[in-house]
Amino acid sequence: MEAQTDTRFVPHFPLIRVSNREIMNLERVSNEEKLNLCRKYYLGGFAFLPFLWLVNVVWFFKEAFMKPAYTEQPQIKIYVKRSALGLILWVAVLTTWITIFQHFRAHWGEVADYLSFTIPLGTP
Amino acid sequence: MGSVKRIEFLLICFFYARVSCSSVEQKIYVALNNTTPCVRLLNATHQIGCQSSISGDTGVLHVLETDDDLDWITKTGPHAPYMVLMDSFTFTRSSMMRLKNSSRVAGVAVIHMSTPPDKGFSPHTSCPNQNTGVYTESYGPDLANCSTTVWNPLGNGLSYEDFPFPIFSLADDNETQVIRKCYEDHNKRVNGSAPVYPLCAMQLFSHMHAVTDTVTCMRRTDLQNSFSINPEQLCDPLMDYNVWATIRPINATAKGHKQNESMVIAATRLDGRSFFYDLAPSAEGTVSGIVTLLAAAEALRSVTQVAPPPRNIFFVFFQGETFDYIGSSRMVYDMQNNKSVIDFDNVHSFLEIGQVGLRREQNLWMHSDPISRRNETVNEEVAFLVSNIKSAASMSNLTLDEPNATQALPPSSFQRFLRVRPIPGVVLADHQSSFINKYYESLYDTAEYLKVSYPPNLSPEEQLEYETEAAKSLTEVATLVARSLYKQAGGENSVLKNITADTKTMAKLLYGFLVKSNNSWFRSLLPREMVSKDRILESSPPQYYVSLSQNQQPKSVTTFVKYILANMTGTATNLNQSQCQNPKDIPGESKDLYIYDWISGPASENHTAGEPFCVRAPVRLAKAMSPAFELRQYGSREYSTWTESRWKTIKARIFLVASPQLQMLTLGVGIAVLLVSLVVTYFISSKADILFSSAHDAPNTTY
Repeated sequence: MEAQTDTRFVPHFPLIRVSNREIMNLERVSNEEKLNLCRKYYLGGFAFLPFLWLVNVVWFFKEAFMKPAYTEQPQIKIYVKRSALGLILWVAVLTTWITIFQHFRAHWGEVADYLSFTIPLGTP
Repeated sequence: MGSVKRIEFLLICFFYARVSCSSVEQKIYVALNNTTPCVRLLNATHQIGCQSSISGDTGVLHVLETDDDLDWITKTGPHAPYMVLMDSFTFTRSSMMRLKNSSRVAGVAVIHMSTPPDKGFSPHTSCPNQNTGVYTESYGPDLANCSTTVWNPLGNGLSYEDFPFPIFSLADDNETQVIRKCYEDHNKRVNGSAPVYPLCAMQLFSHMHAVTDTVTCMRRTDLQNSFSINPEQLCDPLMDYNVWATIRPINATAKGHKQNESMVIAATRLDGRSFFYDLAPSAEGTVSGIVTLLAAAEALRSVTQVAPPPRNIFFVFFQGETFDYIGSSRMVYDMQNNKSVIDFDNVHSFLEIGQVGLRREQNLWMHSDPISRRNETVNEEVAFLVSNIKSAASMSNLTLDEPNATQALPPSSFQRFLRVRPIPGVVLADHQSSFINKYYESLYDTAEYLKVSYPPNLSPEEQLEYETEAAKSLTEVATLVARSLYKQAGGENSVLKNITADTKTMAKLLYGFLVKSNNSWFRSLLPREMVSKDRILESSPPQYYVSLSQNQQPKSVTTFVKYILANMTGTATNLNQSQCQNPKDIPGESKDLYIYDWISGPASENHTAGEPFCVRAPVRLAKAMSPAFELRQYGSREYSTWTESRWKTIKARIFLVASPQLQMLTLGVGIAVLLVSLVVTYFISSKADILFSSAHDAPNTTY
């Protein structure tokens, strides 16, 4: 009974297949591999994938700022901070563009139609 | 297991919602089935018509009868937004514009009353097809924009307004009684005080996909088609087919100029419209011309076989003329580009039948174009045509005259031909200047208005044959038209008296086109599979809105005219069914010259199906889609650019609505119950060990 409840209530998120040997969560990964993962996510974000940065920030926030210090922590901190910065930049740029686009879409007419993938029905 | 079952049940419920779980919906809503919406149409620059939001517009019903009600709806009533219920007498420009400019209106439902208003009503513009006729800044600028004659002075232009809310037409029947009762029971003001909840409300769905103008919606449609996985059509061009026939067959597969052919064109229009989507009775506006030309074609059949006139006569019925001359502009375009069976050099002269059903005394008027008549030769030819018609009239009771020589042509297909070349031509109509028709392009332009009505106690078969006054009077016009055409085609004077239109035919035409298309005569003229399968015959009159041709099928009116014209101009043959379908190898038969139709044939006395036979006729359909869509010039100023928006749901329903406070309270209680249950579940789940430890022996089954 006890063992069963244990496995059930361990949070399964976030899961990632690091090697093809096992599915892991951060609790069970060595610090070295944590850094490795964090770097991969950080670098991956540069391929116009801001959501990787978002995941990185959420996932490694505790590791970077809450956990007691360990050797790889400063490096993880740097990656998390930069990911957060990049994310904020992306959010700012996207919000601005979406606001401008939605506001002026009807006004731009033809240009806006060519920029759109789906056009809402029945609105100018 | 229990929870799995419950989920299954919910899924089944979800999929079969209409079958098993609709009882709640049925208890709440009363669906209204006998409704017609006003829909959105678009041209190069504007959108017209109505639209609801995507989830339908809901409002508390209020009947509009007096100015007091109008104030209540637009200013003082506490239950905004209102769904305005009015009868068709209140449906005027002034009240509609006040509602349009108010933000407190959710929609309008108009109950159509069968008695027309005495002072007339026309939701069309006062100057129909103002910008696409012949008169422009460069051609008769002083006649442009109806500056000399306002053709439809009663036109209030409502059909060309853009309303931001849905407007539905309701037939005056049991359903409207239910609505009225719901209103009387719940919404009626007592001594001027506001009614209390629950109130009777109406919800109208008519969400339109297209917006702004044809340019925008065609561009978006093209874009969607080019790269969307799930393309969504937004609008379609209004289109259908013109019908034409000649008294001597011409090769219809060879396009362009026809050697040694000189044609007198006899034209009329096939379509009309009203404020509401596909309702368009158009009795005087359209049908009077159709039946006259059809009867004239029949009157000419025997004579032209015995004594054929030197010139050919080209009967043509233009479709979509109401919407900036779709049919005629397409035929003119095809003639200019050698895509039609004839070209402009084949045209000798032009006689168009306008509105001819409401003559004052015995007068008919011959309208001609003063600008082209400034040319001496054209003037002579027009004068010749006029004298031919007058001499034909001298043999009848009709008095024909020309209106004031400086008056422009009324809106007519002929104007599209004049834009290209100054062809001599005349438009025959019952009005000297403004239309006599008080209900132009409205729901009141019906059989009753043309005085096509029958004595009581006649069976449908007797009504079909009954010669009304209207039939007699239109037969005179048809005879006149037939004689004028024969004379204009160079026929002998001595034969003229043998040309007479048949009153019986006219009676049947009027019955079929204005009262009931499902009659024994129409059935006998159509192919059998069309009668049985296509269901184009109805126990109501056909509607004359051009609409879109679905799957390239011509619409019902076009089909009727085609087969009747085949009967009027063609001959019955001895071919059997397979020969009729493929007469290629039979000597003397040619698919280039004729169409061959295997038609049902007249039913015998004892109501059994008739003996089908093969009719051979020089009748054809020609596509009537505006050249603007062929040329992809969606912003064209020269050609019609009218498109009809697509939509998904058109429906109307009424229900009782509770006060907003009660609605919010219900919602609040619901949310509270949800939250409480979540908390309880969480605690039960976290204390499951304690709560359920003693209740079971095998722990595996707990989960």
